[in-house]
Amino acid sequence: MKREAQNLLQKVDEKSEKCTVGCPILDRNLNGGIPTKSITEVVGESGSGKTQICLQLVLSAQLPPSHGGLNGSSLYIYTEYPFPIRRLKQLSLSLLSSHPNHLLSSSDPLSRIILRGISSAENFVELLPDIELCLRYWKSRLLPIRVIVVDSIAALFRSEFGNCCFDLKRRSSLFFKISGGLKSLAERFGLVVVVTNQVVDFIEGNESVRIGNFSELCSSGRRVCPALGISWANCVNSRIFLSKDQTGIKITRFSSLVFAPHLPLSSSQFVITEKGLFGVENV
Amino acid sequence: MEIGMLPISASKRGKLLAAGYTTLHSIATTSITHLATDIEVSESEALEILNFATRNSALERSSGSNTNVIQGGQTAWDMLNEERFSSSITTSCADLDNILGGGINCKEVTEIGGVPGIGKTQIGIQLAVNVQIPLDYGGLGGKAIYIDTEGSFMVERVLQIAEACIEDMSEYSHHFHKDNQAYGVKMHPNSILENIFYFRVCSYTEQIALVNYLDKFVTEHKDVKIIIIDSVTFHFRQDFEDMALRTRLLGEMSLKLMKLAKNFSLAVVMLNQVTTKHVEGSFQLTLALGDSWSHSCTNRIILYWNGDERHAYIDKSPSLKSASAPYSVTSRGIRNSTSSSKRIKMV
Repeated sequence: MKREAQNLLQKVDEKSEKCTVGCPILDRNLNGGIPTKSITEVVGESGSGKTQICLQLVLSAQLPPSHGGLNGSSLYIYTEYPFPIRRLKQLSLSLLSSHPNHLLSSSDPLSRIILRGISSAENFVELLPDIELCLRYWKSRLLPIRVIVVDSIAALFRSEFGNCCFDLKRRSSLFFKISGGLKSLAERFGLVVVVTNQVVDFIEGNESVRIGNFSELCSSGRRVCPALGISWANCVNSRIFLSKDQTGIKITRFSSLVFAPHLPLSSSQFVITEKGLFGVENV
Repeated sequence: MEIGMLPISASKRGKLLAAGYTTLHSIATTSITHLATDIEVSESEALEILNFATRNSALERSSGSNTNVIQGGQTAWDMLNEERFSSSITTSCADLDNILGGGINCKEVTEIGGVPGIGKTQIGIQLAVNVQIPLDYGGLGGKAIYIDTEGSFMVERVLQIAEACIEDMSEYSHHFHKDNQAYGVKMHPNSILENIFYFRVCSYTEQIALVNYLDKFVTEHKDVKIIIIDSVTFHFRQDFEDMALRTRLLGEMSLKLMKLAKNFSLAVVMLNQVTTKHVEGSFQLTLALGDSWSHSCTNRIILYWNGDERHAYIDKSPSLKSASAPYSVTSRGIRNSTSSSKRIKMV
């Protein structure tokens, strides 16, 4: 099967489409937002804002490109129950109030978000062909699916794989299967794919391999590393680390770029309010 | 007379005969300096005559005369001469170019591996831009093929690096050719983009099909001077029920790439990932695809973090010394590291 070489000039016209995360300050560090046709990983400890940013993304995706969106619906695959439907509703009201006339469709933004729960990694692999059918079906609709969120990938792998070589190999090949499948869909349908991941505590004395712009990642006052190891790190194109530090009632949150093929190192502070997740301008 | 076959001037032919060179074989087996002194020509002219002679003497092998090359073979002497004119592609980092002996070499397959975020794709893009540096500026003036298996290739980044490369070239021409107006840089970032043939493959079958197709493609685009595969590993790390099949497929693919490099005199750069290998109870970091894959490349470079600095280490090479050099990834692309302790370490 031959492929015609796409001269890059043609690609430049398509440009690298990006989807806003719902905040111009965070978008700036990402040079416009989350790119299509690649997998972006958002990693952080529980409560750091991963799900918040994903919920905000699937709503912003419905905005037109003039406002940073993709005029697209989203597929949200969740692995941790229950799905925060009330928070999603709250955020959708905030979106409607800040962009009253911009949404292409007049129906409820919630009708443009497809939810699917899955319970295991093999389950996910079996689901990939169905996802493709779903994408094809939506391609001709008013707002085709342009975003896939997997929240979280770590939960699929934490329980059923032991620590012996055989299990680790099996786990590792599932990483590549899932990532390969998602990347192929992302390329063919021009999708934004965001995957969230958890962190594990860093154990002193263990040999650790540095990945990315920061020699260590800290959250809640302790050193952490993203779960699922180097193999999974090889499967994503970009990685964003969300950290949180709490002293008393004050919570400080940072979003840092660990690695990305098109972005330099950056870090920005953000807050989570009832209206959503927003970057804070540097003082 | 065989000397008559040589496409050289009559006076040179006369000098050859006068010096006692009556057969092509006698010329082919002498050294440049001897030839130059014997017939009183410059060394470069002597080299030219030598090349003609060796090429033509190889043609008369079937007659069984004292030939020392077999069909399709070459003497090491010929190869040395060819290598003198062989070219390399700069990485834009002087330290890295130094340990590589000038840059990434044509006619060779170089594998570059490292952890995520160390700069493999960045080096790939830098090479795809640098191969296009015109001959006037010490480059190859060639085109690039970029095979993207992971989706890490971002056009905006290529534009950034291309613009920086053009700026550097005009600075260079400003310095060295102040008086020569003809050296104005005529390159535009868009033309750099046009000369990178980009392929995106989404499965291992597509990857193999594409590598098989490259022979035809490069024959039609003779000015391609580098093929970059980013990364060669990704699609092969999924479940292969038959590992023997995987080894066979990888072996065939690497053989094809080596042939492409040799036949078309271009550089092949394969980017690879790292994985952990279970060795004697502990886990060691190693390049993916296994031990048998390590034979598929001519040179192997490993990228790693040394504190806060990125380093490149020559892990395997038939002709380069084991050494490591620091480099950095900047908004303009790959450049020298800015740390004050920048020294090339010989291992």
